[in-house]
Amino acid sequence: MGSHGPRVTAEPPEPRAVREVLAEVGEDPGDVELAPIEGGASRQTFVVAAAGEPRFVLRREPHEGMSFAPLELELRAIAAADLAGVAVVRTVAAEPAGGRFGPGAGYLMEFVAGTSLAPRVLRREELSVARERLPGQLASALAQIHSVDSAAVDGLAGGERDPALEGCELWERELTEIGEPLPAVEAGLRWLRLNPPPPPPAIRLVHGDFRLGNFIVDGHGLAAVIDWELCHLGDPAEDIGWLTIRSWRFGNDDWPVAGLAEMEPFLDAYEAAGGVRPDAERLRWWEAMGNVKWAVICARQAHDHLTDARPSTELASLGRRICEPEWDLLELLAEA
Amino acid sequence: MTAKLFGEVRDWVPRERRFQVLVLANLCAVIARELRAGAWPSLADVSLFRSLAGTERPEPTVEDAEGAAREAAAELGAAIRRGELDDSLPEVLAGLRQHVRRKLEVARPGYADH
Repeated sequence: MGSHGPRVTAEPPEPRAVREVLAEVGEDPGDVELAPIEGGASRQTFVVAAAGEPRFVLRREPHEGMSFAPLELELRAIAAADLAGVAVVRTVAAEPAGGRFGPGAGYLMEFVAGTSLAPRVLRREELSVARERLPGQLASALAQIHSVDSAAVDGLAGGERDPALEGCELWERELTEIGEPLPAVEAGLRWLRLNPPPPPPAIRLVHGDFRLGNFIVDGHGLAAVIDWELCHLGDPAEDIGWLTIRSWRFGNDDWPVAGLAEMEPFLDAYEAAGGVRPDAERLRWWEAMGNVKWAVICARQAHDHLTDARPSTELASLGRRICEPEWDLLELLAEA
Repeated sequence: MTAKLFGEVRDWVPRERRFQVLVLANLCAVIARELRAGAWPSLADVSLFRSLAGTERPEPTVEDAEGAAREAAAELGAAIRRGELDDSLPEVLAGLRQHVRRKLEVARPGYADH
Protein backbone atom coordinates (compact mmCIF):
# COMPACT_ATOMS: atom_id res chain seq x y z
CA MET A 1 0.00 0.00 0.00
CA GLY A 2 1.01 3.65 0.19
CA SER A 3 2.45 5.75 -2.53
CA HIS A 4 5.02 4.67 -5.05
CA GLY A 5 6.09 6.71 -8.02
CA PRO A 6 6.06 10.34 -9.00
CA ARG A 7 5.57 13.29 -6.67
CA VAL A 8 1.92 13.91 -5.91
CA THR A 9 0.18 17.24 -5.95
CA ALA A 10 -3.33 17.94 -4.74
CA GLU A 11 -4.29 20.02 -7.77
CA PRO A 12 -7.98 19.30 -8.32
CA PRO A 13 -9.31 18.12 -11.67
CA GLU A 14 -10.59 20.77 -14.07
CA PRO A 15 -14.05 21.95 -12.92
CA ARG A 16 -15.18 22.00 -16.54
CA ALA A 17 -14.27 18.32 -16.93
CA VAL A 18 -16.12 17.43 -13.75
CA ARG A 19 -19.23 19.27 -14.91
CA GLU A 20 -18.98 17.50 -18.27
CA VAL A 21 -18.91 14.07 -16.59
CA LEU A 22 -21.87 15.02 -14.39
CA ALA A 23 -23.82 16.28 -17.40
CA GLU A 24 -23.32 12.95 -19.15
CA VAL A 25 -25.16 11.16 -16.33
CA GLY A 26 -27.92 13.77 -16.25
CA GLU A 27 -26.65 15.57 -13.16
CA ASP A 28 -25.40 18.89 -14.59
CA PRO A 29 -25.31 21.27 -11.62
CA GLY A 30 -24.03 24.30 -13.58
CA ASP A 31 -20.62 25.81 -12.88
CA VAL A 32 -18.75 23.94 -10.15
CA GLU A 33 -15.85 24.60 -7.81
CA LEU A 34 -13.63 21.97 -6.25
CA ALA A 35 -12.01 22.15 -2.80
CA PRO A 36 -9.73 19.46 -1.32
CA ILE A 37 -10.65 17.52 1.84
CA GLU A 38 -7.83 16.14 3.99
CA GLY A 39 -7.78 12.45 4.86
CA GLY A 40 -7.78 8.99 3.31
CA ALA A 41 -4.86 6.59 3.27
CA SER A 42 -3.87 7.39 -0.29
CA ARG A 43 -6.84 8.68 -2.25
CA GLN A 44 -7.46 12.40 -2.85
CA THR A 45 -10.89 13.77 -2.07
CA PHE A 46 -12.56 17.01 -3.22
CA VAL A 47 -15.90 18.59 -2.48
CA VAL A 48 -17.68 19.64 -5.66
CA ALA A 49 -19.83 22.71 -4.99
CA ALA A 50 -22.33 24.47 -7.24
CA ALA A 51 -23.68 27.94 -6.41
CA GLY A 52 -21.78 27.74 -3.14
CA GLU A 53 -23.52 24.54 -2.03
CA PRO A 54 -21.74 21.18 -1.75
CA ARG A 55 -23.33 18.79 -4.23
CA PHE A 56 -20.91 15.93 -4.90
CA VAL A 57 -17.64 14.47 -3.66
CA LEU A 58 -14.86 13.45 -6.04
CA ARG A 59 -12.39 10.75 -5.02
CA ARG A 60 -9.41 9.81 -7.15
CA GLU A 61 -6.10 8.00 -7.13
CA PRO A 62 -3.28 10.57 -7.33
CA HIS A 63 -1.79 8.52 -10.14
CA GLU A 64 -2.44 5.10 -11.63
CA GLY A 65 -1.92 2.04 -9.43
CA MET A 66 -0.99 4.07 -6.38
CA SER A 67 -3.48 2.76 -3.86
CA PHE A 68 -3.86 -0.31 -1.70
CA ALA A 69 -6.81 -1.56 -3.76
CA PRO A 70 -7.79 -0.52 -7.29
CA LEU A 71 -10.48 2.12 -7.30
CA GLU A 72 -12.77 -0.10 -9.39
CA LEU A 73 -12.60 -2.69 -6.61
CA GLU A 74 -13.58 -0.07 -4.04
CA LEU A 75 -16.64 0.77 -6.15
CA ARG A 76 -17.64 -2.91 -6.39
CA ALA A 77 -17.32 -3.28 -2.61
CA ILE A 78 -19.44 -0.17 -2.00
CA ALA A 79 -22.13 -1.45 -4.38
CA ALA A 80 -22.18 -4.86 -2.69
CA ALA A 81 -22.35 -3.26 0.76
CA ASP A 82 -25.21 -1.07 -0.44
CA LEU A 83 -27.11 -4.20 -1.51
CA ALA A 84 -26.50 -5.71 1.95
CA GLY A 85 -28.13 -2.66 3.54
CA VAL A 86 -25.02 -0.79 4.72
CA ALA A 87 -25.40 3.00 4.72
CA VAL A 88 -22.95 4.04 2.00
CA VAL A 89 -22.48 7.02 -0.29
CA ARG A 90 -23.79 6.16 -3.73
CA THR A 91 -21.54 6.56 -6.77
CA VAL A 92 -22.73 8.91 -9.51
CA ALA A 93 -20.03 8.51 -12.18
CA ALA A 94 -16.53 7.12 -12.62
CA GLU A 95 -13.57 7.82 -14.86
CA PRO A 96 -10.74 5.41 -15.67
CA ALA A 97 -7.05 6.16 -15.13
CA GLY A 98 -5.89 8.77 -17.63
CA GLY A 99 -9.44 10.07 -17.97
CA ARG A 100 -10.91 13.45 -17.22
CA PHE A 101 -10.07 13.35 -13.48
CA GLY A 102 -6.31 13.02 -13.98
CA PRO A 103 -3.65 10.30 -14.27
CA GLY A 104 -5.37 8.00 -11.75
CA ALA A 105 -8.93 6.67 -11.80
CA GLY A 106 -11.62 8.64 -9.97
CA TYR A 107 -15.28 8.68 -9.14
CA LEU A 108 -18.00 11.11 -8.14
CA MET A 109 -20.32 10.40 -5.23
CA GLU A 110 -23.40 12.08 -3.87
CA PHE A 111 -22.67 14.62 -1.13
CA VAL A 112 -23.92 13.40 2.23
CA ALA A 113 -24.44 16.09 4.87
CA GLY A 114 -22.85 15.59 8.27
CA THR A 115 -19.33 15.37 9.62
CA SER A 116 -16.68 12.68 9.66
CA LEU A 117 -14.27 14.63 11.88
CA ALA A 118 -13.80 12.57 15.04
CA PRO A 119 -13.43 15.44 17.55
CA ARG A 120 -16.72 16.91 16.32
CA VAL A 121 -18.48 13.55 16.47
CA LEU A 122 -17.25 12.99 20.02
CA ARG A 123 -17.80 16.47 21.42
CA ARG A 124 -20.30 18.61 19.50
CA GLU A 125 -23.42 19.30 21.55
CA GLU A 126 -25.74 18.97 18.54
CA LEU A 127 -24.51 15.38 18.03
CA SER A 128 -25.35 14.14 21.52
CA VAL A 129 -28.30 12.06 20.29
CA ALA A 130 -26.14 10.70 17.47
CA ARG A 131 -23.51 9.59 20.00
CA GLU A 132 -26.11 7.57 21.90
CA ARG A 133 -27.22 5.82 18.72
CA LEU A 134 -23.87 5.35 17.01
CA PRO A 135 -22.49 2.27 18.84
CA GLY A 136 -25.57 0.20 17.95
CA GLN A 137 -25.64 1.57 14.42
CA LEU A 138 -21.94 0.79 13.94
CA ALA A 139 -22.47 -2.75 15.24
CA SER A 140 -25.33 -3.28 12.78
CA ALA A 141 -23.37 -1.78 9.89
CA LEU A 142 -20.40 -4.00 10.65
CA ALA A 143 -22.59 -7.12 10.81
CA GLN A 144 -24.09 -6.11 7.44
CA ILE A 145 -20.64 -5.61 5.91
CA HIS A 146 -19.60 -9.03 7.18
CA SER A 147 -22.74 -10.54 5.62
CA VAL A 148 -21.88 -9.26 2.12
CA ASP A 149 -21.65 -11.92 -0.56
CA SER A 150 -17.94 -11.47 -1.17
CA ALA A 151 -18.11 -13.62 -4.31
CA ALA A 152 -19.92 -10.64 -5.85
CA VAL A 153 -16.88 -8.43 -5.26
CA ASP A 154 -14.42 -9.66 -7.83
CA GLY A 155 -10.73 -9.03 -7.15
CA LEU A 156 -10.65 -8.76 -3.35
CA ALA A 157 -7.21 -9.46 -1.90
CA GLY A 158 -6.66 -11.91 0.96
CA GLY A 159 -8.55 -14.92 2.21
CA GLU A 160 -6.35 -17.50 0.55
CA ARG A 161 -4.70 -18.56 3.81
CA ASP A 162 -5.12 -17.89 7.51
CA PRO A 163 -5.93 -14.14 7.74
CA ALA A 164 -3.76 -13.78 10.85
CA LEU A 165 -0.72 -15.06 8.98
CA GLU A 166 -1.60 -12.96 5.93
CA GLY A 167 -1.74 -9.88 8.19
CA CYS A 168 1.70 -10.60 9.67
CA GLU A 169 3.20 -11.05 6.21
CA LEU A 170 1.55 -7.92 4.80
CA TRP A 171 2.89 -5.60 7.49
CA GLU A 172 6.33 -7.23 7.54
CA ARG A 173 6.59 -6.64 3.79
CA GLU A 174 5.47 -3.06 4.19
CA LEU A 175 8.00 -2.41 6.98
CA THR A 176 10.77 -3.88 4.83
CA GLU A 177 9.79 -1.66 1.92
CA ILE A 178 9.69 1.52 4.05
CA GLY A 179 13.07 0.70 5.57
CA GLU A 180 12.36 2.39 8.90
CA PRO A 181 13.77 0.28 11.76
CA LEU A 182 11.02 -0.20 14.35
CA PRO A 183 12.12 -2.96 16.75
CA ALA A 184 9.04 -2.64 18.97
CA VAL A 185 6.79 -3.26 15.96
CA GLU A 186 9.01 -6.14 14.84
CA ALA A 187 8.80 -7.70 18.31
CA GLY A 188 5.03 -7.27 18.36
CA LEU A 189 4.69 -8.79 14.92
CA ARG A 190 6.87 -11.71 15.97
CA TRP A 191 4.68 -12.34 19.01
CA LEU A 192 1.56 -12.17 16.86
CA ARG A 193 3.06 -14.59 14.34
CA LEU A 194 3.92 -17.05 17.11
CA ASN A 195 0.54 -16.76 18.86
CA PRO A 196 -2.17 -16.54 16.17
CA PRO A 197 -5.84 -17.14 16.96
CA PRO A 198 -7.46 -20.26 15.46
CA PRO A 199 -8.66 -19.72 11.88
CA PRO A 200 -11.95 -17.76 11.88
CA PRO A 201 -15.27 -19.55 11.41
CA ALA A 202 -15.63 -17.86 8.01
CA ILE A 203 -13.64 -15.57 5.71
CA ARG A 204 -15.70 -12.46 5.00
CA LEU A 205 -15.51 -9.02 3.39
CA VAL A 206 -13.59 -6.78 5.80
CA HIS A 207 -13.88 -2.99 5.46
CA GLY A 208 -10.27 -2.58 6.58
CA ASP A 209 -10.57 0.98 7.90
CA PHE A 210 -13.76 0.88 9.95
CA ARG A 211 -13.12 3.61 12.54
CA LEU A 212 -14.14 7.06 13.67
CA GLY A 213 -13.09 9.40 10.86
CA ASN A 214 -14.57 7.11 8.23
CA PHE A 215 -18.19 7.52 9.30
CA ILE A 216 -20.33 10.44 8.17
CA VAL A 217 -22.42 11.34 11.18
CA ASP A 218 -25.45 13.63 11.31
CA GLY A 219 -27.89 14.48 14.08
CA HIS A 220 -29.54 11.06 13.78
CA GLY A 221 -26.29 9.07 13.96
CA LEU A 222 -24.57 7.09 11.21
CA ALA A 223 -25.31 8.55 7.78
CA ALA A 224 -22.69 6.60 5.78
CA VAL A 225 -19.61 4.39 6.02
CA ILE A 226 -16.88 5.79 3.75
CA ASP A 227 -13.26 5.13 2.68
CA TRP A 228 -13.38 1.54 1.45
CA GLU A 229 -9.92 1.55 -0.08
CA LEU A 230 -8.49 -0.97 2.42
CA CYS A 231 -11.30 -3.53 1.95
CA HIS A 232 -10.25 -7.15 1.57
CA LEU A 233 -11.17 -10.70 2.54
CA GLY A 234 -10.32 -11.70 6.08
CA ASP A 235 -11.36 -12.37 9.66
CA PRO A 236 -14.37 -10.17 10.60
CA ALA A 237 -12.76 -9.68 14.03
CA GLU A 238 -10.11 -7.59 12.27
CA ASP A 239 -12.63 -4.76 11.78
CA ILE A 240 -13.64 -4.85 15.46
CA GLY A 241 -10.05 -4.91 16.65
CA TRP A 242 -9.18 -1.93 14.43
CA LEU A 243 -12.26 0.01 15.58
CA THR A 244 -11.16 -0.33 19.20
CA ILE A 245 -7.48 0.67 19.12
CA ARG A 246 -6.71 3.58 21.43
CA SER A 247 -5.74 5.91 18.57
CA TRP A 248 -9.34 5.83 17.30
CA ARG A 249 -10.78 6.76 20.69
CA PHE A 250 -9.48 10.31 20.20
CA GLY A 251 -8.86 10.94 23.88
CA ASN A 252 -11.93 9.06 25.21
CA ASP A 253 -9.58 6.27 26.24
CA ASP A 254 -11.97 4.57 28.67
CA TRP A 255 -14.48 3.84 25.91
CA PRO A 256 -12.97 1.16 23.68
CA VAL A 257 -15.53 1.30 20.88
CA ALA A 258 -14.54 4.42 18.95
CA GLY A 259 -14.34 6.45 22.16
CA LEU A 260 -18.11 6.03 22.47
CA ALA A 261 -19.05 2.79 24.20
CA GLU A 262 -18.08 -0.29 26.19
CA MET A 263 -17.17 -3.45 24.32
CA GLU A 264 -19.75 -5.92 25.64
CA PRO A 265 -22.90 -3.98 24.64
CA PHE A 266 -21.31 -3.37 21.25
CA LEU A 267 -20.66 -7.10 20.79
CA ASP A 268 -24.21 -7.86 21.93
CA ALA A 269 -25.54 -5.52 19.23
CA TYR A 270 -23.16 -6.98 16.61
CA GLU A 271 -24.33 -10.51 17.44
CA ALA A 272 -27.98 -9.46 17.46
CA ALA A 273 -27.51 -8.02 13.96
CA GLY A 274 -26.17 -11.33 12.67
CA GLY A 275 -22.43 -11.04 13.36
CA VAL A 276 -20.47 -13.96 14.82
CA ARG A 277 -19.24 -12.84 18.25
CA PRO A 278 -15.46 -13.22 18.50
CA ASP A 279 -13.92 -14.30 21.81
CA ALA A 280 -11.77 -11.98 23.90
CA GLU A 281 -8.46 -13.57 22.87
CA ARG A 282 -9.22 -13.19 19.18
CA LEU A 283 -10.25 -9.57 19.70
CA ARG A 284 -7.12 -8.79 21.68
CA TRP A 285 -4.98 -10.33 18.90
CA TRP A 286 -6.65 -8.17 16.26
CA GLU A 287 -6.46 -5.06 18.44
CA ALA A 288 -2.72 -5.68 18.80
CA MET A 289 -2.48 -6.22 15.04
CA GLY A 290 -4.43 -2.98 14.57
CA ASN A 291 -1.71 -1.15 16.47
CA VAL A 292 0.95 -2.77 14.27
CA LYS A 293 -1.01 -1.64 11.21
CA TRP A 294 -1.38 1.95 12.43
CA ALA A 295 2.31 2.17 13.39
CA VAL A 296 3.32 0.97 9.92
CA ILE A 297 0.86 3.30 8.18
CA CYS A 298 2.27 6.24 10.20
CA ALA A 299 5.77 5.19 9.14
CA ARG A 300 4.63 5.00 5.51
CA GLN A 301 3.06 8.45 5.64
CA ALA A 302 6.20 9.99 7.15
CA HIS A 303 8.30 8.15 4.57
CA ASP A 304 6.17 9.62 1.78
CA HIS A 305 6.90 13.09 3.16
CA LEU A 306 10.62 12.48 3.62
CA THR A 307 11.04 11.05 0.11
CA ASP A 308 9.10 13.98 -1.36
CA ALA A 309 6.45 11.63 -2.79
CA ARG A 310 3.76 13.51 -0.84
CA PRO A 311 5.27 16.56 0.89
CA SER A 312 3.03 17.42 3.84
CA THR A 313 3.54 18.73 7.35
CA GLU A 314 0.70 16.49 8.52
CA LEU A 315 2.30 13.37 7.09
CA ALA A 316 5.61 14.41 8.66
CA SER A 317 3.93 14.77 12.04
CA LEU A 318 2.64 11.18 11.84
CA GLY A 319 6.24 10.00 11.98
CA ARG A 320 6.37 11.33 15.53
CA ARG A 321 3.19 9.47 16.45
CA ILE A 322 4.44 5.95 15.69
CA CYS A 323 5.35 5.56 19.35
CA GLU A 324 1.67 5.80 20.39
CA PRO A 325 0.51 2.54 18.73
CA GLU A 326 3.89 1.03 19.62
CA TRP A 327 3.15 1.69 23.29
CA ASP A 328 -0.40 0.37 23.04
CA LEU A 329 0.89 -2.75 21.27
CA LEU A 330 3.40 -3.44 24.05
CA GLU A 331 0.74 -2.82 26.70
CA LEU A 332 -1.67 -5.30 25.06
CA LEU A 333 1.01 -7.97 24.72
CA ALA A 334 2.09 -7.47 28.34
CA GLU A 335 -1.46 -8.43 29.36
CA ALA A 336 -1.57 -11.47 27.05
CA MET B 1 7.04 29.58 18.62
CA THR B 2 4.50 26.95 19.71
CA ALA B 3 2.71 29.42 21.96
CA LYS B 4 2.64 32.04 19.20
CA LEU B 5 1.22 29.62 16.66
CA PHE B 6 -1.29 28.17 19.08
CA GLY B 7 -2.29 31.38 20.84
CA GLU B 8 -2.13 34.03 18.12
CA VAL B 9 -1.73 32.72 14.57
CA ARG B 10 -4.56 30.22 14.99
CA ASP B 11 -6.99 33.04 15.67
CA TRP B 12 -6.41 34.96 12.46
CA VAL B 13 -5.87 32.23 9.87
CA PRO B 14 -8.92 31.12 7.87
CA ARG B 15 -10.98 28.51 9.68
CA GLU B 16 -10.15 25.74 7.20
CA ARG B 17 -6.39 26.26 7.84
CA ARG B 18 -6.55 26.12 11.64
CA PHE B 19 -5.92 22.41 11.81
CA GLN B 20 -2.65 22.87 9.90
CA VAL B 21 -1.59 25.58 12.36
CA LEU B 22 -2.26 23.18 15.24
CA VAL B 23 -0.19 20.48 13.53
CA LEU B 24 2.67 22.95 13.07
CA ALA B 25 2.42 24.15 16.68
CA ASN B 26 2.57 20.57 17.90
CA LEU B 27 5.55 19.79 15.67
CA CYS B 28 7.41 22.83 17.02
CA ALA B 29 6.79 21.60 20.57
CA VAL B 30 8.09 18.12 19.68
CA ILE B 31 11.21 19.56 18.04
CA ALA B 32 11.86 21.75 21.09
CA ARG B 33 11.70 18.69 23.36
CA GLU B 34 14.00 16.78 20.98
CA LEU B 35 16.56 19.58 21.12
CA ARG B 36 16.35 19.69 24.92
CA ALA B 37 16.80 15.92 25.22
CA GLY B 38 19.94 16.01 23.05
CA ALA B 39 21.79 12.76 22.33
CA TRP B 40 20.99 10.85 25.50
CA PRO B 41 17.84 9.03 24.23
CA SER B 42 19.84 7.73 21.24
CA LEU B 43 22.73 6.67 23.48
CA ALA B 44 20.33 4.88 25.81
CA ASP B 45 18.67 3.18 22.83
CA VAL B 46 22.00 1.95 21.46
CA SER B 47 22.82 0.39 24.82
CA LEU B 48 19.34 -1.19 25.14
CA PHE B 49 19.15 -2.54 21.57
CA ARG B 50 22.62 -4.09 21.77
CA SER B 51 21.84 -5.61 25.14
CA LEU B 52 18.59 -7.16 23.85
CA ALA B 53 20.26 -8.42 20.67
CA GLY B 54 23.28 -9.74 22.57
CA THR B 55 25.79 -7.74 20.54
CA GLU B 56 28.81 -5.89 21.89
CA ARG B 57 30.51 -2.86 20.35
CA PRO B 58 32.25 0.27 21.60
CA GLU B 59 29.87 2.98 22.76
CA PRO B 60 29.22 5.62 20.11
CA THR B 61 30.21 9.24 20.56
CA VAL B 62 27.54 11.88 21.09
CA GLU B 63 27.99 12.93 17.46
CA ASP B 64 27.44 9.38 16.21
CA ALA B 65 24.60 8.53 18.59
CA GLU B 66 21.65 8.95 16.22
CA GLY B 67 23.18 6.90 13.41
CA ALA B 68 24.33 4.22 15.83
CA ALA B 69 20.84 4.00 17.35
CA ARG B 70 19.31 3.54 13.91
CA GLU B 71 21.84 0.87 13.03
CA ALA B 72 21.31 -0.98 16.33
CA ALA B 73 17.53 -0.77 15.89
CA ALA B 74 17.82 -2.29 12.41
CA GLU B 75 20.05 -5.10 13.70
CA LEU B 76 17.71 -5.87 16.57
CA GLY B 77 14.66 -5.79 14.29
CA ALA B 78 16.31 -8.16 11.82
CA ALA B 79 17.28 -10.60 14.60
CA ILE B 80 13.69 -10.55 15.89
CA ARG B 81 12.31 -11.13 12.37
CA ARG B 82 14.65 -14.10 11.84
CA GLY B 83 13.35 -15.67 15.05
CA GLU B 84 16.75 -15.56 16.75
CA LEU B 85 15.27 -14.01 19.89
CA ASP B 86 12.13 -16.14 20.17
CA ASP B 87 13.29 -17.70 23.44
CA SER B 88 13.67 -14.28 25.04
CA LEU B 89 10.78 -12.55 23.27
CA PRO B 90 8.92 -11.65 26.52
CA GLU B 91 12.08 -9.97 27.82
CA VAL B 92 12.62 -8.20 24.48
CA LEU B 93 9.05 -6.88 24.52
CA ALA B 94 9.43 -5.74 28.12
CA GLY B 95 12.79 -4.09 27.42
CA LEU B 96 11.50 -2.20 24.41
CA ARG B 97 9.02 -0.40 26.65
CA GLN B 98 11.96 1.75 27.82
CA HIS B 99 12.71 2.73 24.22
CA VAL B 100 9.09 3.54 23.37
CA ARG B 101 8.65 5.43 26.64
CA ARG B 102 11.66 7.60 25.71
CA LYS B 103 10.07 8.39 22.34
CA LEU B 104 6.76 9.23 24.00
CA GLU B 105 8.42 11.61 26.46
CA VAL B 106 9.44 13.68 23.44
CA ALA B 107 6.49 13.16 21.11
CA ARG B 108 3.53 12.79 23.47
CA PRO B 109 4.34 13.38 27.15
CA GLY B 110 1.87 11.69 29.48
CA TYR B 111 0.62 9.15 26.94
CA ALA B 112 2.24 6.20 28.73
CA ASP B 113 0.82 7.21 32.10
CA HIS B 114 -2.82 6.52 31.30
